[in-house]
Amino acid sequence: MKIFQQSTEFDYSWEEVSTSNWRKYGPWNEKTPHVIAVDTLSRTVDPNTGILRTERLITCKQSTPKWINQILGGQDTSLVYETSYVDSASKKVTMCAMNMTWSDLLSVRETCMYQPSSAAPDAKTQFIQRAEITAFCGGWQKIKNSIEQFTVERFQQNAAKGKEGFEMVLEMSRKAFAEQRELLRLQQGSKILQEAKL
Amino acid sequence: MSASLAPECNEVKERYDNCFLKWYSEKFLRGTATSDECEPLFKQYEQCLSKALKARGIDTMLKEAREDNRENDAEHMRPKR
Repeated sequence: MKIFQQSTEFDYSWEEVSTSNWRKYGPWNEKTPHVIAVDTLSRTVDPNTGILRTERLITCKQSTPKWINQILGGQDTSLVYETSYVDSASKKVTMCAMNMTWSDLLSVRETCMYQPSSAAPDAKTQFIQRAEITAFCGGWQKIKNSIEQFTVERFQQNAAKGKEGFEMVLEMSRKAFAEQRELLRLQQGSKILQEAKL
Repeated sequence: MSASLAPECNEVKERYDNCFLKWYSEKFLRGTATSDECEPLFKQYEQCLSKALKARGIDTMLKEAREDNRENDAEHMRPKR
């Protein structure tokens, strides 16, 4: 098993980050073209804890090198199952993801967390990512190691791109919310717009 | 927002996603959510999506993934002490 871990900070409040997180793979993010679709499978609020639980299915374009495809069997898309837990009272988002494709041969389990940064809880958000990668191809230790190593390296490459892409979404989101507020302000100040709303 | 894996569900998915995002930022985060007004839209989207998942055999893969995910639920749904 190999482990990938990193943490970083975003210069946005936890509220902004946790809202934009739902838009992370949308058109505002130009850095994740490999994510083709994100579908919500279920969504519930736990009546006792108030925790919002969401199940999603993420469809990705396969971009593994040929040698891995040859070992694991070629498929042009891969599926990821994700559950997320949002606790708005303690301001915490936890996301757990696992691969559904090739799961007999490779297990990738990722946990990500967003929490207010301890240094500036109202302005910054800390992001922690951890992934455990285990390959199970029989007794072929060499191949197992190569597959695990490749997957860890992919995580490293994607971590930088992931941050860049999410920064784009956060910026666009802030602009969109500001425009919305401005429109609302104008609407409240203008009789014509108020009537137009009716 | 992102597309659906089933293009025929894109339209209803977009309506649901927009409804959810509004509810999330305006009600859930502020702790004032009393009901889920997006439920009817979700039901429509779910109906469309579940057909596509079944047709592609993804529904059986999902069963396994859900089994494997039980420990995450146990860990992250538990009440605060």
